[in-house]
Amino acid sequence: MAIAQAMCTSFKTELLTGTHNFATNGNAFKLALYAEGSGGKSSTTATLGAATTAFTTTGEVANSGTYVSGGLALTKVAPTASGTTAFTDFSDLSFTTATITAMGALIYNDTNSDKAVCVLDFSTNKTSTSGTFTVQFPTADASNAIIRIA
Amino acid sequence: MFNLSSGIVGSVNVKTSNQGGLTNEQIADLAVDKIASISDQAPPHIRQQAKIFKEHLKNVLYHYLLLARREERGTIIQALRSSGQKETAEYIRRL
Repeated sequence: MAIAQAMCTSFKTELLTGTHNFATNGNAFKLALYAEGSGGKSSTTATLGAATTAFTTTGEVANSGTYVSGGLALTKVAPTASGTTAFTDFSDLSFTTATITAMGALIYNDTNSDKAVCVLDFSTNKTSTSGTFTVQFPTADASNAIIRIA
Repeated sequence: MFNLSSGIVGSVNVKTSNQGGLTNEQIADLAVDKIASISDQAPPHIRQQAKIFKEHLKNVLYHYLLLARREERGTIIQALRSSGQKETAEYIRRL
């Protein structure tokens, strides 16, 4: 599979070296959208998964509406814990007046050399046509949050 | 020894629209999914109750979203009429 949901392995290593700071006054994180099947810029296909180490424009969807290369900044919710699980969350993100077909997304650290955090697999192509493309993050709890460490 | 047993990525929900913004129903779905989530490990009768609650919640949210959009449109129409832009006001009223 060209896009496989995963927490990037490099991100796990970088957690241990203090590269990523998810505090509300910490690093800036972005979400970029990707296409499979030559649907990306210049007919490129995304290959994203656990081995992804940084943001790439290969397979990224073309600029449209409010979507620009690199995606949009995420609004962070301060990390917290419930029981023995720590987690963090982001506010939902919308690209408006956009014509986009995306199969997945990459969350990356815009402050620290675009280092990858995780890959999101939408399972099927999601398409907006001159409309809104909204990515809703799951409920911020120990069972569902977008990024969890148990 | 520090043992990081697992790092997990949650599943996102994607909603898209054509020729305009998201519908009231889509927004109601987004709100309900954010408010109430059902654990895969929950017993069947709890899952059933939660499902019914989510449906009820969605209907209530849908109604008030519809109302909010209508009221907002009413405010915009009135502002346009007051500034003499009656044609634009009529166009928005017909949306």
